[in-house]
Amino acid sequence: MITEQQLTLALFYCQNVPKSGEEDRQALEEEFGKSIRLFPIPCSGRLDPVHLLKALERFADAAFIITCPEGACRYFEGNHRAKKRVERTKKILSDIGLEPERAGIIIGSKEAPKTLAEIAKEIFKKISQMGPSPALKQG
Amino acid sequence: MITAEQKPIDEIRGMIAPYKRILVLGCASCVAECAAGGEKETAMLASALRMAARMEKQEVEIEEKTIDRQCVNEFIVLLDDIIDKYDAILSLGCGAGVQAVGDMFPEIPIIPALNTEFLGETKSQGLWVENCLGCGDCMLYYFGGVCPLARCSKQLFNGPCGGSVNGKCEINPDLDCAWQLIIDRLSTFGALDRLEEVYPPKDWSKKQGSGPRKIIREDQQR
Repeated sequence: MITEQQLTLALFYCQNVPKSGEEDRQALEEEFGKSIRLFPIPCSGRLDPVHLLKALERFADAAFIITCPEGACRYFEGNHRAKKRVERTKKILSDIGLEPERAGIIIGSKEAPKTLAEIAKEIFKKISQMGPSPALKQG
Repeated sequence: MITAEQKPIDEIRGMIAPYKRILVLGCASCVAECAAGGEKETAMLASALRMAARMEKQEVEIEEKTIDRQCVNEFIVLLDDIIDKYDAILSLGCGAGVQAVGDMFPEIPIIPALNTEFLGETKSQGLWVENCLGCGDCMLYYFGGVCPLARCSKQLFNGPCGGSVNGKCEINPDLDCAWQLIIDRLSTFGALDRLEEVYPPKDWSKKQGSGPRKIIREDQQR
């Protein structure tokens, strides 16, 4: 199986995700090294398909966004918008023949909140099944 | 504003297939407002096309640029310095923009990435509606600022048809009945008497009766 060390994940996340402060980010970067590129954003509603596409084109085997739980967005509808934008990105990936699962959204849970690090590990587990992206420049 | 939608990626890829150095050219005016061909959409399309080419191991250079307006020569000439690098232009302009760029650089094939749709209004975020047919003889004064040609499904000049229910069109219940709007507006202004006149059928000669239209303003010319 391909390990997370061989894949690169672009991870966008709402800064209101539990334990996603500067120290947590640095710790995660230390743990995963070049395999993770973290992009904290004030609200997941700031995400646009162009962010995910550029990441997938330039360096990432997968690009994900982590949002606040449904109904818990500080700006009311940021996570709903993020959901639609990830759907649009998936459609574009599918149109060009790239697995749409390389773009994804993780919606936080109110009942069982997870930290940034926990979610990142879960995403790595998920994407390790897919292997390196054929859309990235080789070598 | 002129509205447009992006063509399916497969169709675009088919059209650019013979070319090796492609400029994906966005337009920052109308098509940016309707989220079809602005800087962001241009970046997305270029990115998707580069990934698609890479997956099929095609040796293609795809670069992107957005100019303020593809339908105005003063902005198109800004491409002068870079255009020789490319053997095709994929334009995210409206039909007018595509043709203006093509006229400026007739030696380079120009390919439309959008389907130009209609003259419309941004009704709300992500919703654009048609409300002007560009008929060349505006009658909005008589109809309280609501165009029955563009907004009535039956294009009635002497409405209403009598089929609307609760202010909605009988042909498409998602649509407000234009004649309900016209009567409401004219009542508000106390100008319902404008409807006492019987309006003759539209004179379409002012739209395309003499072929492509042209506006000449000598005071604007050199």
